[in-house]
Amino acid sequence: MSVLRLIGRATLLHVKQLSRSQFEIATALFVPLVQATLAVYLFRAGTEPHRLLEAAVGAGMMAVWSSVLFGSGGAIQNQRWQGTLEMLMLAPRPPALLVFPITLATAVTGTYAMIATLLWGGLVYRIPLDVADPLAFAVSVPAAILGLGMFGLLLASTFVLLPNANAINNTLEYPIWLVSGMLVPITVLPGWTGPVGAVLPTTWASRAVRESVTGSGPVWPSLGVCLALSLGCLVAGALVMSYVERRARANATLALA
Amino acid sequence: MRLLAVGGVIAYRALFNWTTPSMFVGTLLVGPLFQLLFFAYLGRQLGVADDSFYIVGNAVLAASTACVFGGTMAVSNERRFGTLGHVLLSPRPRTLVFLGRAIPYAGNGLLIAAFSLVVGSALLGLRVPLAAVPGLAVTLAVGALSCAFFGLTLGALGLRFRDVWLVSNVSVSLLLLLTGVNVPADHLPGWMRVVGGGLPITHSAEAARRLVDGDGFGAALPSLSKEAAVGAAYAVTAALLLKVFEAESRRRASLDTL
Amino acid sequence: MALAIEARDLRRTYRTRTGWLNPRRLELDAVRGVDLDVRRGELFGLLGPNGAGKTTTIKMLNTLLIPTSGSARVCGFDVVSQTREVRRRIGYVFGGDRGLYDRLSALDNLRYFAELYGVPAARQKRRIGELLELVGLTGRERERVEGYSRGMRQRLHIARGLLHEPEVLFLDEPSIGVDPVAARELRNTVAGLAATGTTVLLTTHYMAEAEELCDRIAVIAGGEIQALGTPDELKHHAEGRRVLEVQAFGVSDAQLARIDGLPGVREASVDVVGTAQLVTVQSDATVDVQADVLRLLDGVRLGRVTARQPTLEDAYVAIVGRSPVGAAA
Repeated sequence: MSVLRLIGRATLLHVKQLSRSQFEIATALFVPLVQATLAVYLFRAGTEPHRLLEAAVGAGMMAVWSSVLFGSGGAIQNQRWQGTLEMLMLAPRPPALLVFPITLATAVTGTYAMIATLLWGGLVYRIPLDVADPLAFAVSVPAAILGLGMFGLLLASTFVLLPNANAINNTLEYPIWLVSGMLVPITVLPGWTGPVGAVLPTTWASRAVRESVTGSGPVWPSLGVCLALSLGCLVAGALVMSYVERRARANATLALA
Repeated sequence: MRLLAVGGVIAYRALFNWTTPSMFVGTLLVGPLFQLLFFAYLGRQLGVADDSFYIVGNAVLAASTACVFGGTMAVSNERRFGTLGHVLLSPRPRTLVFLGRAIPYAGNGLLIAAFSLVVGSALLGLRVPLAAVPGLAVTLAVGALSCAFFGLTLGALGLRFRDVWLVSNVSVSLLLLLTGVNVPADHLPGWMRVVGGGLPITHSAEAARRLVDGDGFGAALPSLSKEAAVGAAYAVTAALLLKVFEAESRRRASLDTL
Repeated sequence: MALAIEARDLRRTYRTRTGWLNPRRLELDAVRGVDLDVRRGELFGLLGPNGAGKTTTIKMLNTLLIPTSGSARVCGFDVVSQTREVRRRIGYVFGGDRGLYDRLSALDNLRYFAELYGVPAARQKRRIGELLELVGLTGRERERVEGYSRGMRQRLHIARGLLHEPEVLFLDEPSIGVDPVAARELRNTVAGLAATGTTVLLTTHYMAEAEELCDRIAVIAGGEIQALGTPDELKHHAEGRRVLEVQAFGVSDAQLARIDGLPGVREASVDVVGTAQLVTVQSDATVDVQADVLRLLDGVRLGRVTARQPTLEDAYVAIVGRSPVGAAA
């Protein structure tokens, strides 16, 4: 119980800290709006002009992924730059419990973009928010956020081990959008990408959210798979995180200098 | 002319001090390639346009990240490292020195665009007619240069406005939408097409498509000239902005405040 | 008497690699065999010049660094294997203005760390209130930290380090960059903590701070403890010496070197005080070097000349100067 309380409060504070950076918020809102607009025109230009709500929701999911990718991938580095990494690691808690709220916060702040794209779609393009299964939508979006936050822990812990994490970070935005079918499921991709997509929580998260919007399938199985995979990522991330902490103490990489 | 080139080389080396080789490969080569693949597959899925449209358009656009950020960096880094004052106060023709900063970034962009075109075509099976290659090279170069001048303009604006990176970020994503690279221009509303016409890449992407379609250099020339005109306009704007802000900052002594 | 901190032959080597084309390995022995025993409730000072190994030592004791060899226990728990137990019982405060969430308020920062340290929810509010009062931030706790002065940040750091009522508090150069008034308040706070039974390990390179606060002081230089004792005991290291101070304007390095080379002179140094220089010459008490020193300073405009008994500061200079590193520098 106290662990849940800790995660809740810590996440809230990290959301607060992230939300107060004007630069981050402005980037995190503007860019997805441009992408949502792009998606709307692409759908209109193509064979799917009736699926505009999917375009708006999909663009929102893309933004959540971007937020998790850049926020979580750089989470540990950011704490190090702020000088707070040592302070965090000194707390008598498993290191995963200290970093998970940060990655979860990056997923939560990603929802700002989701809300923005839906509003934008509604106000500018008159896309009505007629969701097929409102209850499932209301559950699947937060659940997808939680799942992506868990996935974020695995990103955060493995990226800190990679010497060129920033470079890898910058390349992973589009491939995940593509393979996970975040905007629209891509059936024309080469066959080998299928299994890759199937093991990514992002794929099932977008699928569950899309199913709740369109009613094209049962939401709960997809959501279940998403959360199961995410839990797997959380456990793996926690293990890697413990290794990372030990290694950082041995190699003196917790501090900036 | 030599001055222009030397200033450029120094700025280019500064670029590589800042970005490691892995950053270069990851962010500037692989990133745009994935972007190209993303839109190509999305285009196939939604039946918007054929592969050729996406490959060629996104290859031309591939230069934009490196060029726009490069151009912005050319100004803002000098300010950050405190060398802008030296550049502005050097007795050499300032405007030339300043514009020279854009050239290496444009060269970099050309490299990236060419890489994206070659690898993108190979991966998705697009055949580019051999006769089109020289024209394409010119087109990509003009596009990259005009993008870099656009970046320089943003960088000059950055002297006045603090959040220049925000502006660059948003600008790069706007290029995705407004240049007609990913959404065919006739599907965009009129005002977006007008704005797009004033942005780099729009016309060079058009020219490149003509060339790949085998229409010949003559058919591409009108678009190519428009792109060159857009680029020249940004070069002039950047130089003017710099002059204005320079005069202003001397009055207010704000050149070195970050 | 129970020990709060015990360290045995602690060593730490840093390995770094530079360059990616032609990588070179560098090894640096930051701490070379430190033994320490700090009693419960003691206020213990670790005093040394920059780069002496103070911070490395403190980070090995507070679990942030794993020693290359040797062992240490805090409150009886091993700092390498029993980190959770150690971390529950210690607080760590370092100088400078980093390490806080700048865009959050002091209250948010404290609540967050209280939660991390498992301070029971029912106690959090009162504890945070007490600490804000202790460090004098009451009334400003809802402001964002980014607007705080350096001294305020430093005090917030201390409050944060005390949230869970640690048995041992590590203070790493707490007064660095803090103005004199704030530094005095800081010293009062630290003295108050020690009075309530908290063990404090303080690192500093300010002599006066160590002398005023500490029960015992270890002087560290070159990664080794050069001397250990109460301030009074340490003063013995300068026993049998006398000190000559000459106020001067424009002493050259060459002149200083010549003074250092005089028979009977043990240490000679120059500090800049305001617009003047202060030449301090330590010599054997049996030798009067004043005439020789003044002869060597011929041609330099001189001010006041004083001869005095050695202080703790002179002892410190003598100790550090005697160490291999100090002698080389």
